[in-house]
Amino acid sequence: MKDIRTKNVDVSVEIAGIKMRNPVLAASGTFGYGTEYLPLVSPALFGAVITKTITLLPRAGNKPPRIYETPGGMLNSIGLANVGAKKFLAEKLPELLSRHPVVIVNIAGNTMEEYVELAGLLKGRPGISGIELNISCPNVRQGGVAFGSDPVQAARLTALVKKAIDQPLIVKLSPNVADIAAIARAVEQAGADAISLINTLYGMAVDIEKQKPVLGNVTGGLSGPAVKPVALYNVFKAGRAVKIPVIGLGGIMNSADAVEFLLAGAAAVQIGTASFVNPGTVKEIVNGLKDYCLKKGYSKVSQITGKLAL
Amino acid sequence: MMLEQKATITSHQKIAPRVFLMAFASPQMAAQASPGQFVHLKPSAPGPLLLRRPFSINRVEGKNIFIMYRVVGRGTSLISSLPKGTEIDVLGPLGNGFEISRKYQEHVLLAGGMGLAPMQFLAGRLKAMKLESRFFYGCSCKKELLPCPTPGKVIATDDGSCGHKGFVTDAFLSRIDKFKKPVVYACGPWPMLRRTALICRQHHIDCQVSLEAFMACGVGACQGCVVKGVKEYVTVCRQGPVFDSREIDWEQESGL
Ligand SMILES: Cc1cc2nc3c(=O)[nH]c(=O)nc-3n(C[C@H](O)[C@H](O)[C@H](O)COP(=O)(O)OP(=O)(O)OC[C@H]3O[C@@H](n4cnc5c(N)ncnc54)[C@H](O)[C@@H]3O)c2cc1C
Ligand SMILES: Cc1cc2nc3c(=O)[nH]c(=O)nc-3n(C[C@H](O)[C@H](O)[C@H](O)COP(=O)(O)O)c2cc1C
Ligand code: FES
Repeated sequence: MKDIRTKNVDVSVEIAGIKMRNPVLAASGTFGYGTEYLPLVSPALFGAVITKTITLLPRAGNKPPRIYETPGGMLNSIGLANVGAKKFLAEKLPELLSRHPVVIVNIAGNTMEEYVELAGLLKGRPGISGIELNISCPNVRQGGVAFGSDPVQAARLTALVKKAIDQPLIVKLSPNVADIAAIARAVEQAGADAISLINTLYGMAVDIEKQKPVLGNVTGGLSGPAVKPVALYNVFKAGRAVKIPVIGLGGIMNSADAVEFLLAGAAAVQIGTASFVNPGTVKEIVNGLKDYCLKKGYSKVSQITGKLAL
Repeated sequence: MMLEQKATITSHQKIAPRVFLMAFASPQMAAQASPGQFVHLKPSAPGPLLLRRPFSINRVEGKNIFIMYRVVGRGTSLISSLPKGTEIDVLGPLGNGFEISRKYQEHVLLAGGMGLAPMQFLAGRLKAMKLESRFFYGCSCKKELLPCPTPGKVIATDDGSCGHKGFVTDAFLSRIDKFKKPVVYACGPWPMLRRTALICRQHHIDCQVSLEAFMACGVGACQGCVVKGVKEYVTVCRQGPVFDSREIDWEQESGL
């Protein structure tokens, strides 16, 4: 039964020139450096693995507690804790590549110069299929969402990074903006090959006994099913504003959720929080997408994209 | 090796006010589990709970894994309502457990409150290895005392309603000169662990502590469960939950 399904439906996609065996990607920060879930979940099951955000220098991250469950979702205030570019390139990347996934490296910096310097280090590196530019992290004081909320700044940074690399560039957008279409258009014009959205929404929780914020960082970013409607809206709006491919994410827990994003215009999806809940979500979604295609008479998963009747 | 399994609850009962003992069947996990490791679980059926919840392995009997837990919030309250026969989704065994070495002569166990949970497994393992152990268990008062089959325990209650009056760390400290080549294993609330770590440092005793933190992934992928180590943040789920007490920065405030 499975074999027939595989033969009949082509789930592979090509986004910004990156060939992927399926349209389900691991979202940055939720699948570590790609090997933590082994032997349970192989990174090669994903169309591509997007690494934890890498910065030029190692980052310790924010004061704990860093995560907390809220109704239908979770808050995190990790603060881009990562091993830094040097250790990533020397240790984490080779380890991940030995498992044969398509690897996209997510990057961030405190200043535009830092982003560009880091991008330069990644240029020409074998095995890096693409770069995802994080201009949407709500948990850092500098950089992050500061560059993602202003179309002019976002475009400037996109252009600078694009010049510094030779891989396809995906720009990851924040929902914490007034006009998502304007930002999407700005980064498209500046040379982005694709956009991905959404990163987390600003959020917080309060401990009423201690009368203190639950998170050590006071505020955090909300993800999980609670944000799905917001994510869909942003994917839909941004998708209609640009011609480059859109990668949708935010609260996707199963294949039905993934189909919603594809219908709304996404060419691929990423899963984040869902992996914490069910590490094997990627398998369920890929199989579910095949089933959906069979039911609808599609031979390729890419035929779902943008099929929304308005 | 980490597994994810649907397991059936084989027994589930209330053993004290707000405290439950649950067993579920998983021959593979039972065969691999070691004291100090934990399981990350959630109900199989979709429901209002999103993330998994971590629980220490309380003990292993045949194919059954036991957890002992206190209802403190939404997740534990929901889990406590699952009857025998329900399927749960379990990720485990996770983390690094206690390191047991024969270089020590006396193995001293310190449990505070719910910190008793992993200690029963450890006590059983030490006994099976024919190692000499001492067990100190403390809680706030007699009413909170949890049933614990390990014989020969020293009990301490904060109000003196059972056993020694005072903290479990005081009961331990009052006997500290009697131990021969000891090692200490401790699990309990942060202030108790901090006190234990300080006492052990002063007396040059090796000490392993089991820590807690809010968790998401449970496998080291999200950096969500960190506590401050002396050099850098460490993940409780992957690098812990059991740490050498010298690796932890005891000046930090516990987030829980
Ligand atoms: C490695 C590990 C082993 C554990 N073993 C046990 C065990 O054997 N028995 C047991 O009763 N509990 C254990 N805990 C704690 C248990 O995981 C929490 O009590 C549980 O997750 C709370 O879930 P909740 O939804 O009921 O609470 P929530 O609604 O999420 O929170 C309610 C209250 O619980 C506290 N809390 C939430 N998560 C944790 C946590 N991870 N640790 C401590 N307090 C928390 C919060 O501060 C809050 O006050 C362990 C935790 C860890 C990290
Ligand atoms: C614990 C955690 C850590 C994250 N770390 C990063 C990160 O380092 N870089 C990034 O671009 N996004 C990060 N994100 C955001 C996710 O990649 C994703 O955009 C967001 O969680 C929404 O998707 P989801 O609802 O499927 O989780 C993180 C999210 C979580 C929950
Ligand atoms: S819970 Fe994700 S790193 Fe520990």
